[in-house]
Amino acid sequence: MKAARLPVLLLGLVILAAIVGPMLLPWRHDAIDWNAVRVPPGSPGHPLGTDMVGRDLLARSLAGTRITLLVAAAAAGVSLLIGVAWGAVAGWKGGRIDEAMMRIVDGLYALPFMFVVILLMVLFGRSILLVFLGIGAVEWLTMARVVRGQVLALRERPFVLAAEAAGARAPAIMIGHILPNLAGIAIAYLLLTIPQVVMIESFLSFLGLGVQEPLTSLGILVKEGADDMDVAPHALLLPGGILVTILICLTLIGEDLRDRLA
Amino acid sequence: MRALILRRLLTALPTLLAVVILSFLLMKVAPGGPFDSERALDPATEAALARAYGLDLPLHEQVWRYLLRVAQGDFGPSLVYRDFTVTDLVAQGLPVSLTLGALALVAALAIGIGAGLFAAARAGRPVDHAIMLAMTLLTALPSFVTGPVLALVFALWLGWLPVSGWGDGRPAFLVLPVIALALPVAGAIAKLTRAGLATALAQDHVRTARARGLSPLRVLVRHALRPALVPVASYLGPAAAGLLTGAVVIETVFALPGLGGYFVQGALNRDYPLVLAVVILYAALILLFNLIADLAYGWLDPRIRG
Repeated sequence: MKAARLPVLLLGLVILAAIVGPMLLPWRHDAIDWNAVRVPPGSPGHPLGTDMVGRDLLARSLAGTRITLLVAAAAAGVSLLIGVAWGAVAGWKGGRIDEAMMRIVDGLYALPFMFVVILLMVLFGRSILLVFLGIGAVEWLTMARVVRGQVLALRERPFVLAAEAAGARAPAIMIGHILPNLAGIAIAYLLLTIPQVVMIESFLSFLGLGVQEPLTSLGILVKEGADDMDVAPHALLLPGGILVTILICLTLIGEDLRDRLA
Repeated sequence: MRALILRRLLTALPTLLAVVILSFLLMKVAPGGPFDSERALDPATEAALARAYGLDLPLHEQVWRYLLRVAQGDFGPSLVYRDFTVTDLVAQGLPVSLTLGALALVAALAIGIGAGLFAAARAGRPVDHAIMLAMTLLTALPSFVTGPVLALVFALWLGWLPVSGWGDGRPAFLVLPVIALALPVAGAIAKLTRAGLATALAQDHVRTARARGLSPLRVLVRHALRPALVPVASYLGPAAAGLLTGAVVIETVFALPGLGGYFVQGALNRDYPLVLAVVILYAALILLFNLIADLAYGWLDPRIRG
């Protein structure tokens, strides 16, 4: 873990700040301080300033980070579940079923995901549950491909053949022998899925189609900051900086892990 | 080669058909109808309205009618922009979006392949690692952060370029949107080029070229680059998807009158016909790009042409 030590450390700090920070701050993310509207960083009581209606930017950024990370974790979980199940079944069954299932994956790859998620949001209303279910439902394809390849290779291995010869049933072999051997590579790709998911969530929230007020996410904060950047650039740079840090750290950690395992 | 194109078309068309049908059905399932209002309508009026718009027909009949209309380029009236059909709006916005997307793709290819070549020419040295790290960082930058930050620095602080707007397509107005859109794609292309070159440089024909005493630059560009670009070509499909998606946000950030802006407005206002049309159009564009990628494939690597 030598190469990825710095990203791991940075990401850990961001996560810690997102969990602990809001408890320590005197301001809630949606509390308005009428005496300090749009004050610059370094003002008394608001170390990183306030936004255009006097809400503490540090509190808002931390609360936004928290929501962004939560949505990302939940969506990545959904994609992991679908991807592993799909890939494992295709790889295990083989033949026609495998062929058909992978054709579906190929077909889905050609679709404009973001637009499908937005279509879902438009049709079924914008709720945070739908945000991560929708994202998870479109981001499982690579996971399915990777898992299928692994299962295909694993099922010819002697210990699996031995289990089969000993009369173990397919679900038992799957859980006892195949899934544990998948875990490493699945985690690496999960880590590479998370930045994608973070990106989609903030993208949707940026456009006003994802997380809705009074909740806030980094995408919403970047949008608010961009609207106000001519007078208060820090309102854009702070949440934007946090978002970019998270994305870069996750990408570096994920690639490092994948290169190690592949 | 022709067989390959034919086979690709045979998978692309059903995919597109499935997109159209699925989005139409999703719209049907969605809560709320076009004639819902505060006041309950008199059943006779409601029945008349339903008949006029063909809503009383069986579902497969409605799907079939929609498909026929879409095939003729008729996406129906916009529910929000009352005086326009969806086709009008698309015709207005598409040229702007295509200009933006095409310029960004060219910029991404130029930056990406250039950076990949530059890094490969200095393989193993610190410059190589620095460039590739920078390119990895680029892939992690979301365009909705780079866009506003670029506008902040180069337009508001330095005053070199306009902040936003279309300016009738004058180049100065396009510089920042194109760069913001191109950067993440450029990063991905650079990584693919660099990896492709690493493989290509180890191949026999490249060793032969080098043994014949050709200059390293000539070997790199004339002999190694072409096979190295095969993975780049296969990335064109996803790149197109990324650019189209990014364009939605970039058009919002820079207030460009493209399709993406209409799409976001349509999505916020539940303008179903408009949203549906854009989804279908973008799906078609992405499928088209995958096809172009396959053609590029065959041109770059003759072995695939069979």
